[in-house]
Amino acid sequence: MPECQHQWKMTNIEFGFIVFEKCSHCADLRTYFSPDDTWDEYKEGDCTWSIVENAQTFRFDLQCTECNHLEKFNDLMGLLFCTGCLEDCEVELLRKKYEAEKTWLLVAFGFLPQSKTNPIPAYKLEILSDHFNQRRDTSRSRIIIVPFNLIKDISLCRGEFIHDVGMLSLEPPEERKPLF
Amino acid sequence: MNTKDVMEKIGLQALNKFEPREVDGVFVSDMLSDVMAGAKSGNLWVTVQTHKSIVPAANLVDVSAVVITSGKEVPAETIEMATKHDIAILSTDLPIFELVGKLYGLGLVSK
Repeated sequence: MPECQHQWKMTNIEFGFIVFEKCSHCADLRTYFSPDDTWDEYKEGDCTWSIVENAQTFRFDLQCTECNHLEKFNDLMGLLFCTGCLEDCEVELLRKKYEAEKTWLLVAFGFLPQSKTNPIPAYKLEILSDHFNQRRDTSRSRIIIVPFNLIKDISLCRGEFIHDVGMLSLEPPEERKPLF
Repeated sequence: MNTKDVMEKIGLQALNKFEPREVDGVFVSDMLSDVMAGAKSGNLWVTVQTHKSIVPAANLVDVSAVVITSGKEVPAETIEMATKHDIAILSTDLPIFELVGKLYGLGLVSK
């Protein structure tokens, strides 16, 4: 039986928030998906976790419309658009290379800190790229999604998350503050 | 009907240079996540959002143009980024409701 040429469609779409928390004791950052807009500060051992940002977002799975295979994406925190802030960053080098081929590069982030040791597998990023390419006219341009561990120094990264920040405010901030 | 046709028929202003594209339906939202989840290739995206992050979202889902309504001023960096990605940024003083009515009158619907 020939292998299915998967045609991906978003399913199980759930809107909510990505919560970015920072610890004032160890300065670690962690992120998670929450269906609610929460701003609670709490202690956990020596750590005091405060929310530095809430971004409205959504999570989803991809399902093949041909064979019904379901690929879960609940480990995807979001997609970041490289702004070329670090010239020698591998993401920036790849971005330049792909742009010459009319291919737009985005960086996939998993939730922190789990994704530092357990990144989103490459095959899932390929599925994600396939999905967005199947949704577009690829004769004009294509999408490629790469893992965030290619970023040279995440603390210096000034890439733009495709997130809805400040959407619950009547006056959204003009400039977004860096998340890392 | 392509983006130039829509511009001329409704009186939209182009804020950058772009290659005209076929318009296939309309998507109205001010949420990037909503656009990523629901917009389709060729859709005209109608919004009041002007931050530069609309460009990667528009690019990701391959909309034919972004129409900024209500006379909102669009920052230069948004226009610059859109031009680089060949995404048309169109502008109108009309509020969303009136613009959508005119688009509907042209036969453009949600797809």
